[in-house]
Amino acid sequence: MSLAPLRAVARSHTERPVGLAPTESPVEGAVLVLHDVTKTYPNGKVALREVDLVVPEGDFVFLVGPSGAGKSTLIKLLIRDELATQGTVILDGQDLARLARRQVPRMRRKIGIIFQDFKLLPTKTVWENVAFALEVTGTPRRKIAPAVDRVVALVGLSAQARQLPNQLSGGEQQRTAIARALVHDPRLIIADEPTGNLDPLISWEILQLLLRINELGVTVLMATHNAEIVTALRKRVVALEDGRVIRDEEAAAYHRED
Amino acid sequence: MISFVAFSLRRAWQGFWRNAVMSLAATATMIFMLLLLSGFFVLLTGLNAGLEFVEQKVEVVADVKDSAPTLAIEDLAGRVRAMPEVASVEYVNATEALQRFRERLKEQGREDLTTFLDKNPLPGSLLVKLRDPQVFGNVVDYLRADPAVERVKEVQNLVKRVLTVTELLRTGGLIVLALVGIVVLFIIVNTIRLAVVARAEEIEIMRLVGASDAFIRWPFIFEGALVGLIGALVTLALLALGSGPMGRVMTGFFDVLPLQLGTLGRDLGLLVLGTGVGLGVLGSWLSVRSYLLK
Repeated sequence: MSLAPLRAVARSHTERPVGLAPTESPVEGAVLVLHDVTKTYPNGKVALREVDLVVPEGDFVFLVGPSGAGKSTLIKLLIRDELATQGTVILDGQDLARLARRQVPRMRRKIGIIFQDFKLLPTKTVWENVAFALEVTGTPRRKIAPAVDRVVALVGLSAQARQLPNQLSGGEQQRTAIARALVHDPRLIIADEPTGNLDPLISWEILQLLLRINELGVTVLMATHNAEIVTALRKRVVALEDGRVIRDEEAAAYHRED
Repeated sequence: MISFVAFSLRRAWQGFWRNAVMSLAATATMIFMLLLLSGFFVLLTGLNAGLEFVEQKVEVVADVKDSAPTLAIEDLAGRVRAMPEVASVEYVNATEALQRFRERLKEQGREDLTTFLDKNPLPGSLLVKLRDPQVFGNVVDYLRADPAVERVKEVQNLVKRVLTVTELLRTGGLIVLALVGIVVLFIIVNTIRLAVVARAEEIEIMRLVGASDAFIRWPFIFEGALVGLIGALVTLALLALGSGPMGRVMTGFFDVLPLQLGTLGRDLGLLVLGTGVGLGVLGSWLSVRSYLLK
């Protein structure tokens, strides 16, 4: 696959100023707004420091940085597994800190999340794994089948729909996870090292699938260590180090290129 | 709502069989514990019935004067019967007293020497049974004050002794039953917790895809209830099977006492079912709670 044309387009990247301060109110058209977010864990470890981040609708963002830089904590804040110690996290116009506990599940359905280890249920088929996400959120049964068929086809697994995860390749398992993430029609897909367990060729397949989903209008935030993919695609890159955003560039590479 | 319940029940059923080894282990534990509990319950009920029987024996006996007219005695009996602490009053006149004495001798197979007496030596007496064997003071005083009464037999010491023993046995029995109950609770909760921990991944996925707490919790609670229900039914079946041979052995022993065991079967059924299902639900609730607290 030739990436030359992509690179050529990406040359004229613009640097986004770090610390662009959004107002308290949700920024127009943004799926995600983090303002002055600091996260300190009970053991005193500071995982994020004064992070500002605005992700507009339809954006594709790579979140990069060494292990322990705060990527996982950032993702935990977005799915409200943790709350920010300071600052605001606004997802689809909702301040997560002000969200009542019982409203959290509804909010999570606006996010589709994908992991390095897929997190599929081994006793359920591809189709059942995807349907599970709808069943446990109280979707009427007659609506489940068409929705599942649609996303399973979208990720190209219609032929494997009746197979169990252990009968699938790693790439197929990850595509199942992506189908499950998509089945709620999320506003945002969060992918946490989705290619971490996959070989390079399969990784590219997964990336192409994510890009295609992005083209359909779903915002994608992908945390990754895969420098080759990040640099080749020339998307927006947000780099974290020691809990701070040290770089936030459009059409950027994995490493700083100054 | 109906689809939610249907979903939860279906998931509970699937969950039970998907993790069959764990579920059957929990059910087996439940059965053993319920059998233990039933054993103690039967023992305690028998003990209580026995104690009640002993307590019924406590009565205030007032011998009446031979000279007292029957009318005065019956009048006194009526007044005593009207006292709130009195359960019943029986008047046994001298002739009846002698007759009863003779019957008792005959039962014991001893020679009846009373036939050699030219006159009945026994006095007539009022047998007063109390509602609460502890409250006898008023009755004793009242009887003593009446001119028709010759003397009131001292019952205080007997009452005290009987009550001390029965109280002790009752309290001891309840403590043992409570301890067994607590042990049962811990074992069941831990067994169900293991079954839930085995499904931690599933719970995590449910949370991530936006399942509400109710959708995560209720299938497990129904599953716990299912473990409890199956455990209870098997236990009751075992008890029913065992009660025949057990009963034959026991009646020989218990027939001596006129025990009121009529409601035992029903009580035991309710206890086993209630405890089984209750513990199953409680165990699941506690086990899932820790996953939902975030």
